[in-house]
Amino acid sequence: MRLTALLSMAAKVVVPKDYRFGTNRPWTAAAKRLNTAGKKRRKVFVEPIAAEDWSVLKGDMVEILSGKDKGKQGRVNQVFRHRNWVMLQGLNTHFRYIGKTGETRGSYVASEAPLLLKDIALVDPSDRKPTEVEWKFTEEGERVRVSLRTGRIIPKPVVERRDGIVPEQWKDGPKDTSPEDTLEKTYAPSLKTLEEEVMEKMGIVENRRHKGSYWY
Amino acid sequence: MGVLSTLLRGLVRGADRMAEFTSKRGSRTHNKGRGARPTGLRLSSRKFLSIRTMIPEFVVPSLEGFKLKPYVSYRSPRGVEPPLTAESVFAEVVAPQIKKDFEEGTFSKEKLERYGFNPKQEGKLFKLYPKNYVR
Repeated sequence: MRLTALLSMAAKVVVPKDYRFGTNRPWTAAAKRLNTAGKKRRKVFVEPIAAEDWSVLKGDMVEILSGKDKGKQGRVNQVFRHRNWVMLQGLNTHFRYIGKTGETRGSYVASEAPLLLKDIALVDPSDRKPTEVEWKFTEEGERVRVSLRTGRIIPKPVVERRDGIVPEQWKDGPKDTSPEDTLEKTYAPSLKTLEEEVMEKMGIVENRRHKGSYWY
Repeated sequence: MGVLSTLLRGLVRGADRMAEFTSKRGSRTHNKGRGARPTGLRLSSRKFLSIRTMIPEFVVPSLEGFKLKPYVSYRSPRGVEPPLTAESVFAEVVAPQIKKDFEEGTFSKEKLERYGFNPKQEGKLFKLYPKNYVR
């Protein structure tokens, strides 16, 4: 019971009420080192933003408004909703050693630091300048982000698949059904089950019937 | 040993009593099956009589000219066909027949067997309820 119960518990993340969320995922060793059980850390105050008002999505182009890399534009890699953080690709970096073992210092890498939402502004694709964004409805009824300065719609960033496959550029292999064959409608509705249809087509005649079983 | 079990070894000792006792555990004389159905009868002379009808046989029609393959291409868009329900099958197969018979005047509530109504599922090899085939 102990091992199987614990393995099932690890699948769902359960964090205490005043858990301090960091850049590490809560089940990793680094996060556990910073948030040991029973350790009370100073509370961080996060500006509450409703789920509908969240405008920055993963993969967006944003510009940094304050800090070391002020004025630079970058792509959003990760979004931390718990703390209103955004991690940009290659911006707001500091340097650290990674893979330190024994005497070797390891490799010196640039690691990004998270940025708060108030230091970030979405970039308007028409003039490539930072803008304030609001959620509005189009005439079709679609909810989109509209830049307040120019009024241009900012499209949602294309979600890339984790396996790196771009569906439009996919080349069918020998075992792949082509899209035309997949969408072809060949089903003729009938009250026969698949087994009865196959029997009819192959000319199999089965007149024996089950004798019925009884439970006492 | 994983990290989880190593960490907990300090707190908890002993076997996992609730794990399933399969044929992989136990001694080599411990003969346990994994739930395969029998394909014959065990006779009183300790022999095994294999019955052909109890051995499953795959009946596959010829796949000549069959265009569908094991996998679907990533380029295919989502289909727009509504999911198949009992109501849709009824509406496409049985409802026109009933409508035609009603207009001709030959519809009668006692003769619903003409449209496939079989509450006791008698005379059918593949009964829908209770389902007596493996799909």
